[in-house]
Amino acid sequence: MCLAIPMQIESIDGFTARCQAKGVWRDVSLFMMQDTLPVVGDFVMVHVGYAIQKIDESDARTTWELLDQILEENGA
Amino acid sequence: MDNARAWLDKIHAFEFDRPIKIMNVCGGHERSITHAGMRGALPKWLELVPGPGCPVCVCPEEDVYQAIRLALHDKVILVAFGDMLRVPVNVKKGEVRSLAEAQAAGADIRPIASPIDARRIAQDNPDRPVVFFAAGFETTTAPTAAMLAEGIPDNLSILLSGRLTWPAVAMLLDSGSPGFDALVAPGHVSTVMGPEEWSFVIDRHEIPAAVAGFGTESLLASFYSVLRQLKTGERFLDNCYREVAHPGGNPTGRRLLDHTLEVVDANWRGIGIIPNSGYALRPAFAQHDARLLFPDHTDPGRRRAGEMPPGCDCAQVVLGKIYPNQCRIYGKACTPRNPVGPCMVSDEGACRIWWAGGVRVAVDA
Ligand code: SF4
Repeated sequence: MCLAIPMQIESIDGFTARCQAKGVWRDVSLFMMQDTLPVVGDFVMVHVGYAIQKIDESDARTTWELLDQILEENGA
Repeated sequence: MDNARAWLDKIHAFEFDRPIKIMNVCGGHERSITHAGMRGALPKWLELVPGPGCPVCVCPEEDVYQAIRLALHDKVILVAFGDMLRVPVNVKKGEVRSLAEAQAAGADIRPIASPIDARRIAQDNPDRPVVFFAAGFETTTAPTAAMLAEGIPDNLSILLSGRLTWPAVAMLLDSGSPGFDALVAPGHVSTVMGPEEWSFVIDRHEIPAAVAGFGTESLLASFYSVLRQLKTGERFLDNCYREVAHPGGNPTGRRLLDHTLEVVDANWRGIGIIPNSGYALRPAFAQHDARLLFPDHTDPGRRRAGEMPPGCDCAQVVLGKIYPNQCRIYGKACTPRNPVGPCMVSDEGACRIWWAGGVRVAVDA
């Protein structure tokens, strides 16, 4: 439940951002980001459908690799 | 992962003449540690103890029971994070003992992945009451608060079982026998609430602490930091997850939490009341508080109400007093396929994580 996943913002409509991570798209709420609103192209950490913080692209990619390994294990 | 090697070498260069225990309080940390096989790569004198890091595991038995009753008797649409569905309550044989069983018995129970799903389901079913059974730590409760603050349909209410992480650690430290020498503080709780929340560990208890992320390097860096603090006697709250956990946390998230919820004393399953460790809806949101809107079915006179299932040592596991495989029925009567306790149900439960990590045999406590 507490797994947070980095996603990249592709478009924004109000507080809803269309985000992508490795070919998976999700609508993500930016309601918790009102103090530092991200823009299209930014990477955000997404937890239960809400962006909770911005993250650098390189950190996002490292996290994706880590998640890949963990999901692989859990699927096994 | 060259850096991981370097951190490991630095950790191995320390010498301690007594066993050192580092506690983590986050299911994500425990998963990374177990997955990477870190315990096998670290020195013998170093023990990594999983502590209170699983909100599903400590969600009050009465709350799960209430959710089951709401779905069965009050005909609500009950939505909850998927982890909650298989958590067992203590009832007589033959009675419905989990939300999954209630669902099989015809109750309208839907697993969700986000508070936003709860809102959408309520919007799609305007003439039915929808109850969102929301268990979680700060990282999950803040989005629930955000949803509430943004505005939700009249027919949506919340059965809130949100918990704060730090008070459980404070309780362990105040007990006089915390069972750990250093703390790795949770990365995403700190992302929302701010790393400073953990300063009390150093200021009040002089126990080294470091915030860590979920990668091998960040975790090893945090171990190195607290070990170095133990060696030098120096104490400070280190942050090994600076890229995401910023000072002050997420100001919007904290404001939304404070606007919608108040901090209250709260019950932890099998553990008891921990002061200031839970969230409740503020009176301004009473019309969305499922605890006020529906009859109380919890029946405290039930046998073993509020406790862990018979034979299950989850409470001891959650408090870091025993390792998962020291439970007498770990891997025997209790496996992910047939979970006896919540620690084997939840993805963040230490028992389940250890099982997934390949630990298949119980050992003596
Ligand atoms: S192995 Fe099962 S019964 Fe034992 S503590 Fe873990 S969840 Fe509870």
